[in-house]
Amino acid sequence: MKRQIPLIIIITMGFMFVAHSFIPHKVSADFFDWFQDWVKAVSPFAVSLGIMSLFMVHGTKIKRKVPNWQYSVITLSGLIFTALAGFIWGTHVGTPYMWLFENVQMPMSATMFALLAFYIASAAYKAFRARSAEATVLLIAAVIVMLGQVPLGAMISKWIPEASTWILNVPNLAAKRAIMIGVGLGITATSLKILLGIERTYLGGGD
Amino acid sequence: MKLNYAKAGLILFLMVFGFLLAPIPSHAAVDTSSYIVENLKADDIPDDDGSGLVLSWKPLPKEKRIIEYRIYRGVTSDSLFYHGKVDVNVKTGVAGDVMYYYDSGYNRFVDLQSPGKLKKEKQQPDDSPLFGRLPRDLEVTGPQLTNYRILGVIPEKDFLYKNTKVEITEDEDTKVYAGLKLRHFLYLLKKLRAEKEYYYTVIAVTESRKYMPHAEPIIGIPIDNSPEKIRQLFSVYVEDKSRMQFEWIRSLFTADQTNHSLYLVKKNNLDEFNNYVEEQKQAEIDPEFETSLENPAQLIYQRYCGYPYTPDNTVAVDIIDGKIINDKRDINVEVGNIEDYFAVFSLQDRAGYETFSSLSTFDIVNSSTLPTISDWNVKDRKNDKGDYNAIYWEKPTVFLTNCTYLNDDKTKILVNYDIYKNVKYDKIKNVYFNISDESGKEITTINEFYQDSKLKITLEKPSNRISFEMRVVANGDTGEDQIYTQDLIFSEDVKSLQPGILYLNGEEVNKYTYSIYKNNYSNEEWRLSKNTIGAQRGIVDNVSYRSITYKGVSKFDAEKGLFLVTPTFQVRMDDELENQIMTNLYAEEAAKSIDTYNEEIANYTASKDTLETEAELANADDAIEFYQAQIDLTESNPILQKAATFKSYKARIKFLEKVKTIAGRSFKYKMVKTDGKAHFALSEVYYTEEVGKLPFDESARETFTTLGMDHFYPLPNWFQADKLPALIATFIFGFMVFFMIRKAKSGKELYIRPIAGIDEIDNAIGRATEMGKPILFVPGLSGISDVATLAGLSILGRVAKKAAEYDTKILVPVRDYIVLPIAQEVVKEAHYEAGRPDSHDKNSVFFITTAQFAFVAGVNGIMIREKTATNFYMGMFFAESLIMTETGSTTGAIQIAGTDAVTQIPFFITTCDYTLIGEELYAASAYLAREPLQLGTLKAVDYTKFIILAFVIIGTIFSTVHATFLINAFPTK
Repeated sequence: MKRQIPLIIIITMGFMFVAHSFIPHKVSADFFDWFQDWVKAVSPFAVSLGIMSLFMVHGTKIKRKVPNWQYSVITLSGLIFTALAGFIWGTHVGTPYMWLFENVQMPMSATMFALLAFYIASAAYKAFRARSAEATVLLIAAVIVMLGQVPLGAMISKWIPEASTWILNVPNLAAKRAIMIGVGLGITATSLKILLGIERTYLGGGD
Repeated sequence: MKLNYAKAGLILFLMVFGFLLAPIPSHAAVDTSSYIVENLKADDIPDDDGSGLVLSWKPLPKEKRIIEYRIYRGVTSDSLFYHGKVDVNVKTGVAGDVMYYYDSGYNRFVDLQSPGKLKKEKQQPDDSPLFGRLPRDLEVTGPQLTNYRILGVIPEKDFLYKNTKVEITEDEDTKVYAGLKLRHFLYLLKKLRAEKEYYYTVIAVTESRKYMPHAEPIIGIPIDNSPEKIRQLFSVYVEDKSRMQFEWIRSLFTADQTNHSLYLVKKNNLDEFNNYVEEQKQAEIDPEFETSLENPAQLIYQRYCGYPYTPDNTVAVDIIDGKIINDKRDINVEVGNIEDYFAVFSLQDRAGYETFSSLSTFDIVNSSTLPTISDWNVKDRKNDKGDYNAIYWEKPTVFLTNCTYLNDDKTKILVNYDIYKNVKYDKIKNVYFNISDESGKEITTINEFYQDSKLKITLEKPSNRISFEMRVVANGDTGEDQIYTQDLIFSEDVKSLQPGILYLNGEEVNKYTYSIYKNNYSNEEWRLSKNTIGAQRGIVDNVSYRSITYKGVSKFDAEKGLFLVTPTFQVRMDDELENQIMTNLYAEEAAKSIDTYNEEIANYTASKDTLETEAELANADDAIEFYQAQIDLTESNPILQKAATFKSYKARIKFLEKVKTIAGRSFKYKMVKTDGKAHFALSEVYYTEEVGKLPFDESARETFTTLGMDHFYPLPNWFQADKLPALIATFIFGFMVFFMIRKAKSGKELYIRPIAGIDEIDNAIGRATEMGKPILFVPGLSGISDVATLAGLSILGRVAKKAAEYDTKILVPVRDYIVLPIAQEVVKEAHYEAGRPDSHDKNSVFFITTAQFAFVAGVNGIMIREKTATNFYMGMFFAESLIMTETGSTTGAIQIAGTDAVTQIPFFITTCDYTLIGEELYAASAYLAREPLQLGTLKAVDYTKFIILAFVIIGTIFSTVHATFLINAFPTK
């Protein structure tokens, strides 16, 4: 029963949503809106699951004094402190909560994002080493596309921007679309497997 | 850095202390009196209905770091409630010397988000008159109802079915109201009352949320003004038809307008008319002023117009035998030589004020110079939920939109074009272009059998003008006679060729615009549905299902927690569009209504003896006429008679609701084609003999006799026909899945092509086991509604089972808190299945954060600290993918990724050892399971891909030979 009831709910709702996508009638539209309202109402409760998980994981680390447990203290302190700041002073501009957001979280996120530039450089180095014929083609294509995006490319030759556009619009787009068709079918197949109860791993366990 | 107690304590101390220090400079003791706003004033807003005041004050200097100004309002100076705020950019401050805040129109009164109890405003002294927002507490809010005009916006179903009957006795007179809880209102809105005193004050709030002292409260009195003067009136006299046509530019403020009127002013009466207008203005300024002049202008047209619709701004008045006659408005005017007249337009409001436009001279034309309206149709739009009518006319239009040079020599150009279709001509087969240069020499001809909106043209030499002749062939009879011409002309401004004016058979297409007006059974007023340019060939008109009742609210019942509204409501208008058919929520009260109407007639008749002015007497006569009409309607109207036969409240209201729905959602349409200056063609109301289906039983036609002929009720559809190919494809795919599963179950060996990434999963887990290090599994960053996440979780189940068998620790950081419990359950079950429940650590699946880059930081930290031997990334990833995988790469872990995010696949291929590309992610679970059911599905996907590929190839071949039927068989999106 533990798995059958969720499975029945999933299969029933799944087929109803398949029907919804082909039925534009008001009855179908109202059912979808009703469902959306429930999703909006239920999903916030899942936040508490996340918070509980954080407390359990880091609480255990602190309790057992596992290596680097001090980071867990900082994590939980940050969580409690930020939440309290929001509850006590509100979340308006000018409140401690917003101060934390603007001066702690935003710069830290920006820092992490900025690292991406360096990682792209190192990944590009790995990708463009001309160790094989395929890698050499990749390197040449990349050079043309990169030059095609900047004025220098057009200064070298008027054909570089055109070649760049061609690479992006023809072989690149063709490959992208092939992947997208595969993805579309994969999504449909997975959805169908879920609808028919063939795929149940996400319920916890395969059978 | 290794942390110990001391270091961790120090970091925490610095965090908290630094945080506390930050606001200190702004909290330092300051002279708060210098933060009181100055020059606070409240002035009346002109041209309105007496519901608007504009507040102004001198903003504080930028150095004061003000973040917002909060406005408080009340009807006494000792109780001012929070009303609204103006945000200020702390860094830039306010640019001008004066700040304005408009308190006008309807704005929020009280709703479910209002506080429960009244609270004193923060950081103010005990004797401060400032309070927070008006609360939900009716003891406090109820008495405020009389200080404003309150409008209750109520979902119709709540008004009809969730009301409570309340009787209130005042001066021996018992009145019945419908009581509604606050939650039954969509909004409760308030508006200032004209001529009433309101007190205002403003406080400044600093960046550190310090509420400064308030300014001395000031008084504002909104005044009801005459309507705004329209900007221009255009008048045209169509000589051969003896018809006067008028068009004007609509005013901006329309809230209390009631009538549109048109007058003729004889040129020799001009001075008298100007004196009359001046006298009216004087009377508006000074209520004591007594007027003596009569309007010398002759009223030739008048109609009702009412908020909130955008009214029709065109009128055509026919002169028949030298006269204009309109019995409904008591108009009987003899018209002489039209050149002896000026035309003037007026707007009247509820207070009786009238504003005249400037005088307009007639442009005398012949009807042959006016535009014509060819065939047009109204039809229920297909494939929708029944909320749109389609109005369409003429045949598709093709036109050029842009041109860019493709080379420096300017001999290669890219020309963009577009097509306006409509519901009748919705499949375009061919578009033919004949292109010629300035000298008329043909450059090329193009047949766009597949319309990609682009033409690439090669010129012999650069040209400053290129001419296009265009013809569209669509489904149905689009004809050979529709030739569009348009030039590309070199523009010095943009240094490029730009599209010129579009012509159809020599006539400028965009000289005229189309305005579609609509009107239902509930209102006599024609309202604008949509305006379109001349090239457009159709519109869709939204006929919303949402039904709202608007009710004034002036009473309350604090004990029961109810706001009270009148229980009467409008069902529809009568067939002549002269009287509203009204009834009451409560049948017994509806039955009493005739007595009430008779009482009103008696009261008004009696009052006539004491009335003095003609206007007052006319008002009394109008009221008597209205109530008499109501008596006649109540006694004879079949809807009200049938409603009276129902015994139960619910059955009666259900019947009335149905009638209201038909009346409100059935629209008739008319079209105006105009140049905006009264040179227009006005269509008749659209009418058809082909009566369509009704969503109700045929009895509805007894009271809605023209329903389906001139009034159109859009029907909901049960199947979206343009999705038929998708449905067929789904069935084929479903059939193949069943077929292949059956085949697999029968024991037949199905060949599955090997995928390196999946084959390596076992080895990768084995490596982690050998090294004694944990496995990291990231199930993507999306939510559970993303199928990629579900695929990732399926793979997680297989990986976790293997890991449990090998007794290897698995770490699963999760970004989405709904995915978290599912992932926990998947890993737990995997351990149970492997027969190793003892090795399951419930904290191995854990939530980090929903913030994208904070999550990455967390995952990277785990990789570095735990020295994971194998990293799996399965699901949907975004910009963070490379940061994670590069870190994993530097730690020396073996990495296997799988995603359907096309933009992230290159990063995974570069930095991971194995990558599952696109659908391989979805196939992985089946590969690992090796069950007949799963393998059958996988095989079905492969065969479906083959069918799609076959369609792509066949479609390409057909398109190459200009056969577009296959492309047209599929929906575009």
